[in-house]
Amino acid sequence: MNGADRRSKLMQMAAGAVFLAIAVVVVLIIVNAADEEGGDTNIEGASEVSRELRGIPQQGMVLGDPAAPVELIEFGDLQCPVCAGYAEEILPPIIENQVRRGEVKIDFRNFTIVGPQSLDAGAAALAAGAQGRGWNFVELFYRNQGGENSGFADDDFLEAVAKSAGVKDSARWNRERAELGVKVEETSTEAEELGLQGTPTFALRGPQTDGIEVIGTPGSTGDLEEAIDEAS
Amino acid sequence: MSIPSEGTLRRAIAFFATLGVGVAAYIAIVEAGGDSPVCLAGGSGCKTVADSSYSHVAGINIAIFGVIGYLLLLASAFLNSDGARLGGFLVALGGFGYSIFLTYIEIFKIEAICQWCVASAVLMTILFALSAIRLVGYGGTDGAIPDRA
Repeated sequence: MNGADRRSKLMQMAAGAVFLAIAVVVVLIIVNAADEEGGDTNIEGASEVSRELRGIPQQGMVLGDPAAPVELIEFGDLQCPVCAGYAEEILPPIIENQVRRGEVKIDFRNFTIVGPQSLDAGAAALAAGAQGRGWNFVELFYRNQGGENSGFADDDFLEAVAKSAGVKDSARWNRERAELGVKVEETSTEAEELGLQGTPTFALRGPQTDGIEVIGTPGSTGDLEEAIDEAS
Repeated sequence: MSIPSEGTLRRAIAFFATLGVGVAAYIAIVEAGGDSPVCLAGGSGCKTVADSSYSHVAGINIAIFGVIGYLLLLASAFLNSDGARLGGFLVALGGFGYSIFLTYIEIFKIEAICQWCVASAVLMTILFALSAIRLVGYGGTDGAIPDRA
């Protein structure tokens, strides 16, 4: 084979490889995009939650810039209906404004008071947090919450929420949630030591607070913003 | 515009492939120790990306594949044959394509950017360009044109 033939063959092989590579990358992206849109059909609100949280950093159960000057701590129980109301009505403007701007970070801490499944759900949320999806899990859980202690928060429900929340490594999530109950108990004990009586209860830590200051359960977004301003 | 000599291209490929080995080896070694790469500019993007399921394929850290790919590109720079030109191009093409996919995943799925991954993607893009120029410019010249370097 002379040089020209060899060159021609090399170019043909290279061109074929380029087309193959383009096809593979396109297929990979399409498959992954479809996976995101699909999710579990029983879980509602995945796209809304994804939109609400998109682009906001998450580390463990902390939503927002880790360097944000004010920390809003929410002690919540995933089975608590009032907490679900807060997640859907009170907190979204705070997340969209102060958290997105990097002024406030929100730390969700489990305070399990409703029943045994609150512990399982809390551990499942922490395991999702280990994969950067803690807040997606919490927000989706609240949007699909069933009756208190009705048994809705079983393994199937938790797995469906995790999947819709975007938890990718389900084997790791399953392994870790089995071990994280102790962390849920730790934050519940912390809440009791702070003298908290119910959920949700909020606390603030900022430049103007003396350590963690419990602010109770503000009745509106405006009340919560006022408390944040005072702590800033 | 004339293309650089093959010797220049091979030296450039060797240089960028060596940088790539360094970046990929750093990620692989840090993660093998159970940690996450440190984002030099701060933030948690590197940890978020490293914790995601996309950081492993078949249980193997993708940084390991990166180290292997960059080593193959380095080897291709030391060989003066059509096999090395085509092999280097194919490895760089695969790395470049996978970098595009991973960048898409970082932006739209994981929603976090790891600067080490970006560094690797930039290096792989440069290596793809260099390998493509080498193949197009000097493919089929085995024994025909001596390396001018």
